Amino acid sequence: MKKLLLTMSTVAVAGTMILTGCGSESNGNDAANAPANSQTDNAPANAGGGNAADAANAPTNAPAAEMKLRILDANVGGKTPEENTKFEAEIKRLTGIDAKMEKPASDYDQKVLTALGSGEKYDLIELSDLGQLATFVDQGVVTDLTDFVTKSKVLSDPTVVPTSEWDQLKDKDGKIVAVFSKFQGGTMPIVRKDWLDKLGLQEPKTLDDYYNVLKAFKEKDPDGDGKNDTYGLSTSDLYDIQGFMSAAGLKYRYVMKDGKRTIPYASEAAIPMYQWFAKLVKEGIMDPNFVTNDTGKMRNLFLTDRVGMVTYWDAWVGMFNNMKQQEDPSTKFQAEALDGIPGADGTVMLRRGDPDFWIVPVNAEHPDAAKKFLEFWHTEPGITLGSLGIEGEDYTKSGDAYTLTDTGKDHSSDHGVPFWYNENVKPPFGKLPGVQAAQDIVKQHATLELSLPGWDDAEKIVKNYALKAMSGQMDAAEAVKKMHDELLGKKLIDE
Amino acid sequence: MKVLKRYGALYVMMVPVIAYFLVFAYYPLVKGLQTSFQDYRLMGDRPYVGFANYSAVMHDSMFWDAMVNTLVIGGGILLFTFAAPLIIALSLNEVLRTWYKKLAQMVLYVPHLLSWVVVGGIWIFMLSPDSGLVNMILVHVFHRAPFNFLADSTWARWIMIWLATWKEMGYTCILFLAGIVSINPSLYEAARIDGATRWQQLIRVTLPQLGNTMKVVFLLNTLGILRIFDEVFVLRNPTIATKVDVLMMYTFQKGILDIKLGPASAASFFVLLLTLALTLVVRRVTRFDEV
Repeated sequence: MKKLLLTMSTVAVAGTMILTGCGSESNGNDAANAPANSQTDNAPANAGGGNAADAANAPTNAPAAEMKLRILDANVGGKTPEENTKFEAEIKRLTGIDAKMEKPASDYDQKVLTALGSGEKYDLIELSDLGQLATFVDQGVVTDLTDFVTKSKVLSDPTVVPTSEWDQLKDKDGKIVAVFSKFQGGTMPIVRKDWLDKLGLQEPKTLDDYYNVLKAFKEKDPDGDGKNDTYGLSTSDLYDIQGFMSAAGLKYRYVMKDGKRTIPYASEAAIPMYQWFAKLVKEGIMDPNFVTNDTGKMRNLFLTDRVGMVTYWDAWVGMFNNMKQQEDPSTKFQAEALDGIPGADGTVMLRRGDPDFWIVPVNAEHPDAAKKFLEFWHTEPGITLGSLGIEGEDYTKSGDAYTLTDTGKDHSSDHGVPFWYNENVKPPFGKLPGVQAAQDIVKQHATLELSLPGWDDAEKIVKNYALKAMSGQMDAAEAVKKMHDELLGKKLIDE
Repeated sequence: MKVLKRYGALYVMMVPVIAYFLVFAYYPLVKGLQTSFQDYRLMGDRPYVGFANYSAVMHDSMFWDAMVNTLVIGGGILLFTFAAPLIIALSLNEVLRTWYKKLAQMVLYVPHLLSWVVVGGIWIFMLSPDSGLVNMILVHVFHRAPFNFLADSTWARWIMIWLATWKEMGYTCILFLAGIVSINPSLYEAARIDGATRWQQLIRVTLPQLGNTMKVVFLLNTLGILRIFDEVFVLRNPTIATKVDVLMMYTFQKGILDIKLGPASAASFFVLLLTLALTLVVRRVTRFDEV
């Protein structure tokens, strides 16, 4: 009897465990999730608007039936899990869409890949890498959104998104396969203007000017603490040194020349530039950790008066200034964007960042809700949500006047959309100090980089030798020769 | 059949365990094997391509570079994480003060409790040419110029080996100490009666009696040498990548970053087969079956 009981109980436990392990979460909301009619084909998102600008700024219509939406995102949403829940509620209030946002704390790209590979169904996925978009197109992941965008009164309005910008989000057949989530800027050298003023220096224009300024930052105690504890320049490996390489007319990544793939950083023209950096390293002007720095460490050096110049995003000019002013309203800290160095033909080459964008995966269960959200995201309520944040949490509104709460001030008007394309929506508080000048520089000089298949392998080789040359471990000419030969040997360049 | 009838309940108890391994270990393994023979796309059709992925991996010079790095770094780690804890365990065994012995064990064991993310962060800071402790000592004590250890490819492999040894030394040391404790005291007593010195006791009694523990530790360490990843992932940077990118890093690069899941799965199976072969060789060489 005992044996029988033991056997039965064991079988019961085993059976339960197996069923638990093998069971899958069923979605009992299929009826509730049935897509409503697409706005694209029927009424515009902002049917109330009489003209394009009105349409672009008006909220989307409330849906006839409840719509569901599952979003995987890296930047959009609340700053904490609790605020993310409020963000979802705000989307529901503004659009009627019952949105569920998943915002992984780290390893976002891996999460995206794992989710797609395992067949998980999201309606919107946020990405920020055009190379990855091209791969996802090849892998059959993304939905063709051409019809949706061209027929959408919001998204097809050139004052909402300039027509030429859509070229970034087209596949090789010219189909639009994604929708922007925000306006992405570019990178440039960012200098401590207060240090320049204190040392009586002019803004540098040429390579020699830059050298003199950086040397002064190192040697003339710009922070005034009486210690030799400052550096002229910090970077995060090759990240964003484009503003300097511009002096030799060198664009990062691939450049097509007569139909052949070239990498300018692996050309002889790059030798003097690597030598220039090596000189900075040798003289202690450059932060010696630049090879192992992540961008966070680089930013911290700048914010803690350890370095006078970094190479980073336009938006961060304002963030730097805002953070220091929040910390100490009487601070003299002043970050300012600098033009890159003109090449021999007078052209400045800066880097424009890959855009942040949404894709609708082909297995999305609620594509219509996704499209409705994408339109909403580019209207005034959507932009306000993505920038200022949640009404009552990040800001309060009285009539047309907005007031940031303490939480809102901490969040620097960034809930995924610090800047946007829609010209009809003006920032209620203006831009953070220094940002407009930085964005003007980006608009004037920055261009996208060309990332062709094989770049990931090529970049390893470029970085290896370039950083060795810059840090003085290897002679610059030898490094460039080896870099070029290895790239050619592995068929990663054509000449 | 009689045995089954008699111990049926015990066999049934094994069912959940077997089910667990089937579902969470062997099913993914079979799926991985299937992927390695496919032109795997995240969505849509996934046609079978025979051994094309294996061929692509075999003809990829970066795979072979990673193989060399893995064997050098893994081999170094295998050697040092075996020898260093053994020496320390034997030394600690000679320490007479119990409090000192316990303290030393605890101090040595702590790094094992930390994740590689923490260990990496600590050592990136410690080795920093700007304000790291190691360079502070170099500059202020030895009057040498600061050195960027983590950006110099000649040091990269040694640093990986040394840090792995430092982190895992305490754990393996405890295994050896447990082995030493289980040695029959009468053997030492007999040796002392025969006039053996402490050194002779160490050589003639402790080491031979520790043989089986040493075999187990060596075999366990061998299983891991081709699977080094966390340490390299945390500590690598572009200037040392060519010297430290190991097989698992190659797989990560292909699968997660380049989204080429077919070749990544093929490379994983190479690692699996090599680990199996290596383990069988070590079993044979150490005559593990005689443990």
